[in-house]
Amino acid sequence: MRALSGELFKTVRRPSVWVCVIGLMAAAVTIGYAIPWLIETFPPAGSSRGLPPGTTLADFKVALYPANFVRQTLQNWSTLGGVFALIVGVLLQGSEYGWATIKTLYTQREGRIVMLLGKLGALAVVVLVLAVGLFAVDALASGGAAAIDGKSLEYPDFQLIVKGVGAIYLIFGFWALFGFTLATLFRQSAMAIGLGLAYALVIEVIIFTLIGSLGGDWVKEIQQWFPLANTGYLASSFGRVALRGLETGGLAPYRDATHAVSVLLAYVVAFVLICSVLLRRRDVTN
Amino acid sequence: MATTTNDAVVATHGLTKRYPNGITAVDGLDLVVRRGEVYGFLGPNGAGKTTTLRMLLGLIRPTAGTATVAGGAPGTPDSLTKVGAIVEAPAFYPYMTGYDNLRLLAIYCGVPVKRVDSALDAVELTPRARHKFSTYSMGMKQRLGIAAALLKEPEVLILDEPTNGLDPQGMADVRNLITELGKGDRTVLVSSHLLGEVEQMCTRIGVIRKGKLVAEGTIDELRGASTLMIRAQPADQAMAVLSSELGADKIKLMDGSAFSLNVDFARAAELNRRLVQAGVDVSELRESERSLTEVFMELTGTESGL
Repeated sequence: MRALSGELFKTVRRPSVWVCVIGLMAAAVTIGYAIPWLIETFPPAGSSRGLPPGTTLADFKVALYPANFVRQTLQNWSTLGGVFALIVGVLLQGSEYGWATIKTLYTQREGRIVMLLGKLGALAVVVLVLAVGLFAVDALASGGAAAIDGKSLEYPDFQLIVKGVGAIYLIFGFWALFGFTLATLFRQSAMAIGLGLAYALVIEVIIFTLIGSLGGDWVKEIQQWFPLANTGYLASSFGRVALRGLETGGLAPYRDATHAVSVLLAYVVAFVLICSVLLRRRDVTN
Repeated sequence: MATTTNDAVVATHGLTKRYPNGITAVDGLDLVVRRGEVYGFLGPNGAGKTTTLRMLLGLIRPTAGTATVAGGAPGTPDSLTKVGAIVEAPAFYPYMTGYDNLRLLAIYCGVPVKRVDSALDAVELTPRARHKFSTYSMGMKQRLGIAAALLKEPEVLILDEPTNGLDPQGMADVRNLITELGKGDRTVLVSSHLLGEVEQMCTRIGVIRKGKLVAEGTIDELRGASTLMIRAQPADQAMAVLSSELGADKIKLMDGSAFSLNVDFARAAELNRRLVQAGVDVSELRESERSLTEVFMELTGTESGL
């Protein structure tokens, strides 16, 4: 408990953590709602080209209204929001090496594993703030968009909202722990953020795009065990936005939410174990 | 003071740290620091001082050997609750104030937050306590480090080169503070490569070279007995007289006419009389003490830091 209290004490005072939290909220409003609403409300000339007959960009605004905000939040932010969580995870651990405060931490009172659990507890709290904050901001933004357009302010069931928050919490938790583990492994922030971002945004996508071109279900059989695929399955399990009675988007996910949750939880447990072993066995030399 | 198991607050037995690259930083170290003493851990840069202290704090695992610090194994809660430490440069969170950094450590250690104020007072940092750590000078950082080490009101203080990077006034302040802290029952283990510093602060010294303890004792013990220095001519006649009085093994010819005699200074007058009676002119006769610098250089094969 002392370790958790200490970690929370310093985490809430750390400006870079708040930069990540506020950055995600700001991005959610601007990228998720403000810019699409502007484009769909004031479509540029010729923007309807390529759309189904009778469809205009304004029809897509349905995705911005409260009824769809849970789906919209999960679709938009499972990876991009995960990047913010990854950065938080890296910062919480990597900076201890950068500032050499890890030696201060380990010479206080508690053992290394207790200190690790305290840190993971604080990380869990920050990720919860990210997840709840993101949903809160998206709920408000979607309500704002509907109010301006004079549309229904009907939100999804509370149960679905809670499930959505839980799903994004698991996804963000995975990314945060991924960053935390990379920082522990490399004992620094720069390498961990670089590799983490490369993986989240490029590596897995490129690998499976290239292998996928070979064709065959065996690629999907392999891919189903990789993290980005599973965050996608989980986000897609909430369905897609219905546009004029038709579901938008591509094919149904290869695996269901249960599979995705199981795989992501397995990664979370594996990361915690890896960090425990690394921190317990390695010397503190910086 | 005789060494007993009971009064050993820090004890190592065969403590060894060998790195995978083959470098042996600490090699079979047997060290005993007794309750209430200010023990100087002296050695040139790279001798293994910091590695040893890191092992005593549980930051580095030894390859072989054992250590006990304040009744517990290094790095365990049993030991850490009784130990305050600075290892190399004090490390704190730059975005927090000095006060908040100490509050944080008070939370980790489970000590009352009110101790933060007294610790800051002890190192005279109260006026800057509400400023961010990143704005502190090297001296203030070092003092905050000492305040942090004092927060637990520890039985043992382990300080690794605490005056590193300080200006002369800062060094003097820290030395005085450590001397004060070492009064009473508290044990201080302080590493340094600065002889003058150790000489001023410490009641006992261990000298480490290439990971091995090469000498241990009080400063007087390390210096050894004083010698008698005589300058007399003619030298061969003086040598004959002194040899017949003392035996040749106690005489060392320093240069053409100077002799270093391994005898008690109380015999100075008698030896002077014998030499004069034998027709030898004595131009200088004095007690000579080896400096700690000479001892250090002999033991470590290096030049001292001062």
